[in-house]
Amino acid sequence: MGRSLARMPTSVRTRIWRKKYKVLATIPTVKAIHVISAAVSVLLPLAARADLKWEQTTLELNPAVAEKQAVGHFKYQNTGDAPVRIKSVKASCGCTTAQTQKNEVAPGEKGEITATFNIGDRSGQQVKTVNVETDDPKHPTTVLTLKTNIAQVLELTPNFVFWQSGEEAQPKTVLAKVGKDMPITNLDVTSMSPQFEAKVEKGPAAGQFRINIKPKDTKTTAFTTVTVKTDFPKDAPKVFYITARVTGPAAAAVTPAVPVAVASPSPEN
Amino acid sequence: MKPGAISRALLLVALAVIPAAGEAVLFRDKISWRSRIPASEIVDLDLVRSWGPAVMWIDARPEDQYQKDHIPGAIALNEDRWNELLPQFLGQWAPDRKVVVYCSTQSCNLAGDVARRLRDEVQLKQVFVLEGGWEEWQKRKK
Repeated sequence: MGRSLARMPTSVRTRIWRKKYKVLATIPTVKAIHVISAAVSVLLPLAARADLKWEQTTLELNPAVAEKQAVGHFKYQNTGDAPVRIKSVKASCGCTTAQTQKNEVAPGEKGEITATFNIGDRSGQQVKTVNVETDDPKHPTTVLTLKTNIAQVLELTPNFVFWQSGEEAQPKTVLAKVGKDMPITNLDVTSMSPQFEAKVEKGPAAGQFRINIKPKDTKTTAFTTVTVKTDFPKDAPKVFYITARVTGPAAAAVTPAVPVAVASPSPEN
Repeated sequence: MKPGAISRALLLVALAVIPAAGEAVLFRDKISWRSRIPASEIVDLDLVRSWGPAVMWIDARPEDQYQKDHIPGAIALNEDRWNELLPQFLGQWAPDRKVVVYCSTQSCNLAGDVARRLRDEVQLKQVFVLEGGWEEWQKRKK
């Protein structure tokens, strides 16, 4: 081959390179390099660490009975050598708000994201998440989890009783179970409508009550809300509600007779 | 295809499966597509429409979203003001009606939570969750 590679026409050069590459590809070392480089391309992102290091990405809170909100502080530090920009912070539910202290975190700087969960009329364990988006290409999204254990003060089963028009006006029973470690000894039960009677008695086991509700008659449709007030906490007793109805013929509806009474539950609830 | 290429492809698949399996086990509760609602209680819009007027729609989204727009006839019922809104819903409920709860999208949990409380606490039997929620309704209403 008298001519140098650079002087050859492009088509000839391409053929030569293809030939050379084929020869190289048959060498076991080159094959191994192919496999290793492919493996590294998969494993490298896994081995990489986010610049924004979180103290905890899951928090568990146990608010007191009277608390209306549960607030979690998710702390972080930028352990990288470049600033991290927090692009967005979004909560998974309308009942949770999330705020960031800063939008840009300098290397070495610490900060936190505050998640506030509005307890509302919820009970039991509530799991809400907050999605944090940053410009860190390795970990663009972090999911923060806020677990809130809301103590059950009183459980009413069921919290709705009804009679169909013409049905015998027999009393129906709601079982009230006092929550674990709740020092409730008495319940105060009142029907908002005089069309119904509501009485409370001790239940089949300790920490249980029976609430018996009975309509005066079932000739006409009727509606009431029965309020159940606990004697704990002493300074801010909790109020729970049972709905009772005499329904009309199938598919007929009745407008609540006491909407004002149920529209504004007492502030302590 | 050469046998070498197949083994390389299998190796790459195996390497990709390891972290995926780890995530599925360790972060199970963070996977958004994992529904907590039993499949038998999720209904699609076609089925709900076939039930005709026997359906009661429940909007489990936050109040502001309900006020903005909602399925015609839907009643607001969410856990923020459960004690206040529940009697209003029960005042309109009838034993022969099916209750269908919806929230914003397929992945939101609000409808499932409200449906669960209606079944467990109120002890209503015919309670369902709309597949795809408000988003699906919007898409299909035209």
